[in-house]
Amino acid sequence: MASIPGFGPVVPRSKTKVGVLSRFGRDDRSSFSLWFWEIDRFLLLFVTLLISIGLIAVAAASPAAAERYSGGGVKVNPLHYFYMQLAWVVISVPVMLFISTWPKDVARRVALSGAILFAFMLVLVPFFGEEVNGARRWVGWGAARLQPSEFLKPMFVVGLAWLLSLKAQDRTLPLVPISGMITGLIALFLMKQPDFGQTVIFAAIWMTLLLLSGVNSRIIGWLVGGGVAGIVCAYLFYDVATKRINDFIFAEGDTYQTDMAHATLTAGGLFGTGPGGGQMKFRLPEAHTDYIFSVIGEEFGLIACFAIAALYIAIVVRVFVKLLEEEDMFLLLASAGLATQFGLQALINMAVNVQLAPSKGMTLPFISYGGSSMLALSIGFGLLLAFTRRNPYLSRSPYVSRGGGI
Amino acid sequence: MTTLVARPHRVRHAGQRYQWLVTAHYRLMVMMLVFLGVGLLIGLRLSYLAVFGDEPRSRVAGTLVPLRGDIVDRNGVPLARTIDAWSIGVHPDRLLGKPEDLAPQLAALLPEHDAGWYLAVLRSGKSFTYLRRRALPELVAKINALGEPAMAFAREPERLYPQTTLAAHVLGYTDFDGHGVTGMERVLDDRLTDPAQRGTPVALSIDSRVQAAMESELFAAMTSQQAVGATGLVLDVATGEVIAMASMPVYNPNKVGQSPPEARRNNVTQSVYELGSTFKPITMAAAIDDGVVTSMAKRYDATAPVAIGRFRIKDDHPAGRWLNVPETLIQSSNIVTARIADEMGQARMEAVFRNLGFDKPPVIELREKGRTLWPRDWGRATTLTTAYGHGIAVTPLHLATAYAALVNGGTLRPATLYRVAPGKAAVGRRVFTESTSARMRQLLRLVVMQGTGKRAEAPGYRVGGKTGTAEKPQAGGYSKSVNVSTFAAVFPMDKPRYVVIAMLDAPKGSAESSGLTTAGYTAAPVVSRVIARTGPMLGVIPDANKEIDLSDLLPLIWKPKGHE
Repeated sequence: MASIPGFGPVVPRSKTKVGVLSRFGRDDRSSFSLWFWEIDRFLLLFVTLLISIGLIAVAAASPAAAERYSGGGVKVNPLHYFYMQLAWVVISVPVMLFISTWPKDVARRVALSGAILFAFMLVLVPFFGEEVNGARRWVGWGAARLQPSEFLKPMFVVGLAWLLSLKAQDRTLPLVPISGMITGLIALFLMKQPDFGQTVIFAAIWMTLLLLSGVNSRIIGWLVGGGVAGIVCAYLFYDVATKRINDFIFAEGDTYQTDMAHATLTAGGLFGTGPGGGQMKFRLPEAHTDYIFSVIGEEFGLIACFAIAALYIAIVVRVFVKLLEEEDMFLLLASAGLATQFGLQALINMAVNVQLAPSKGMTLPFISYGGSSMLALSIGFGLLLAFTRRNPYLSRSPYVSRGGGI
Repeated sequence: MTTLVARPHRVRHAGQRYQWLVTAHYRLMVMMLVFLGVGLLIGLRLSYLAVFGDEPRSRVAGTLVPLRGDIVDRNGVPLARTIDAWSIGVHPDRLLGKPEDLAPQLAALLPEHDAGWYLAVLRSGKSFTYLRRRALPELVAKINALGEPAMAFAREPERLYPQTTLAAHVLGYTDFDGHGVTGMERVLDDRLTDPAQRGTPVALSIDSRVQAAMESELFAAMTSQQAVGATGLVLDVATGEVIAMASMPVYNPNKVGQSPPEARRNNVTQSVYELGSTFKPITMAAAIDDGVVTSMAKRYDATAPVAIGRFRIKDDHPAGRWLNVPETLIQSSNIVTARIADEMGQARMEAVFRNLGFDKPPVIELREKGRTLWPRDWGRATTLTTAYGHGIAVTPLHLATAYAALVNGGTLRPATLYRVAPGKAAVGRRVFTESTSARMRQLLRLVVMQGTGKRAEAPGYRVGGKTGTAEKPQAGGYSKSVNVSTFAAVFPMDKPRYVVIAMLDAPKGSAESSGLTTAGYTAAPVVSRVIARTGPMLGVIPDANKEIDLSDLLPLIWKPKGHE
């Protein structure tokens, strides 16, 4: 290297660069490096994108929600909900990453214990729960307030997957009735809250896992028939469902919320009004939770809505495609169940926002505001990341070129 | 002895496991397709909203759509708009400060009441009362600075008339609840408050430039003549559109309460007048149409008054000779007009006026319409006096529509205050023949060129018209000194476009009019100036070389020797 007069010798800077690179290199055997090589980095990228989008969306919806909850002597900071969400992200993301490092056995056992704990809490909700907006869903006080059903969801998936995978050990176990009974009990307590949307999700998870666990198609047929009958029965005999479905089909009752959601979603056109330019969002109740998708539509355009929908679908597709290489029954069921739970919730929320489905009271995963929901989703996604972690060299042909496929 | 048997369970295990994997993977892919399908559905719905998303925006009122639609003139100049204004109120029952302290401060800032009044209000214990509506933001800031939490400020939609008094009688005004009370505000109330339509302004036929010129000239004349009132009208002869409609005295629709009730009266459509000699061309046209007047050269005796019982019809300036038809109009002879009406007879004269709608309120969108004074019995006296505009009282708008029919080829069209798109004019109804209309154009032009309407001439605009000076009916008969002076004009006479009417109520005369109060000296100059000012705006190019063909009538006019 030539030395430039007055500047001293030019020191090659590549030395430090090599040092940084080598830390993530294949010859590094540290636990972090192993985790990084085993984890599904596409899923990690997608969820990072979702959380980032979520923070931007909550920042957009926060002034609308703050204005709604201000009044009288209370003045809510316009960005109050954004700061809260930021704090929850700071707590939740490390939780997700930490869970994703757990060995699969540990993850399974912890999830099973969690399932029992939160199922117990769910039973307590109707008796000790706090009533918010006409439904008893929350237990605990202050910052420690949580919705057991949100946390139970991922744990329930893992538990159910474990239960159904017992079939590999003993084919004689009556797993369909047992799992059906557990799901039915949970559904019963959910309906008591009442929480129609969550009930649908739990039932859908059970059906999905049964389907994947290989029960024969005759039983599936019965179950689908039973599901349709269940929805019809819910419509006929369950007041909440009757009202929600009537409101949707006949546009009767108070349609203010859905009208406003429609107006907000379309107010920005294809490319949106720009951040902070939204006007309709201020008339929209629940702008920061159930209808945040509409707020995104107004400020960032329907094109952003397309992108978000595509992101959710991409996560589900990514998990399902990767599972084609999975041969362990429990891991396949658990991963598919977690992805289904996640994707289904997103699809239902988006369908409600674009008025393809009746209003449910369901949040958009990782995007809607909500601390309890954020933490529960992080736990669920952490489990998913843990279960989909795999040694990239284990099942790969040695002849595959190094650059192709991850 | 034991026999070794293969454990069937374990042997089948591997195969079964493989079987399960195939099924599971197959079902996994089916589920993935379901997810993709639902995702696609949401994507399609989003595309649908992106393409057809406009509908809900109009259904739910956007922030920029006013609560009451705007009214604009024919060129889009705003005449009435809705803005957010401040109102100041107080909740006396929630007062924290002492009323004794607050009342003088309020009296200083809101001087319309004294401190005692404010003290009474503050002590009333009422839950709410307004102190000021339409307050300026500066005043709101000052009152807010008093620091009394019981004061209430609100943004309220306010109707604003940015041109203040311009076309006030056409526009009308709204009450505090935002509903039209008079004028087009009242007519258009439903249309302006309809959520689906209020985003688009309503265009009137009024041209604010012409309206302004008419109002300014009328006001100048009214002031110099010390008249009690004045009205003016510009009407499109081909479409019936009212280009300008002015009634004096004016009021400010922004501050309705500050004007006297008589100022709110629209004299163009609500007040009826005996319009005098301006009726003569109508009588003449009817007589030509009916074959009573067969030739322009036909002469009538104007040497002696016409007697009806004890009442005699006289001329102001007796010609003392026999007059032919052009001379009758040029000199405005009551005697000859009455003689012609006598030949027409009662039935035909009555039919003419009925045909022109003089027996009914004027036809226009406004609800403020006056009932005409239609003669109760059509005796010979009525027949003869109505021929020159006495004994029958109509609105200036009646006269304008009749004049439009007189010159436009004979079609009577209802007047309208809405802008009429080209080719969309009302079909109308034929009241005069085409040839009569052509003859009337010549005759009216002659009146301005050589007769009583000389001062209405605007060089190059080929103005035609007729004066009308009617004595004002007062208690105990007609007043000799108090007139209603009207000039009904049409221009350009070779291809009529607009009727212009100016009317002064009880002019007292000025140096400019040599102290005279007759229409030729008071109303005619107004018409002349309005035409000169607005002609170019209305698309009429002044041209000194153009003139209507009068070659067949000019030789009929007798001139004293030395006046050739």
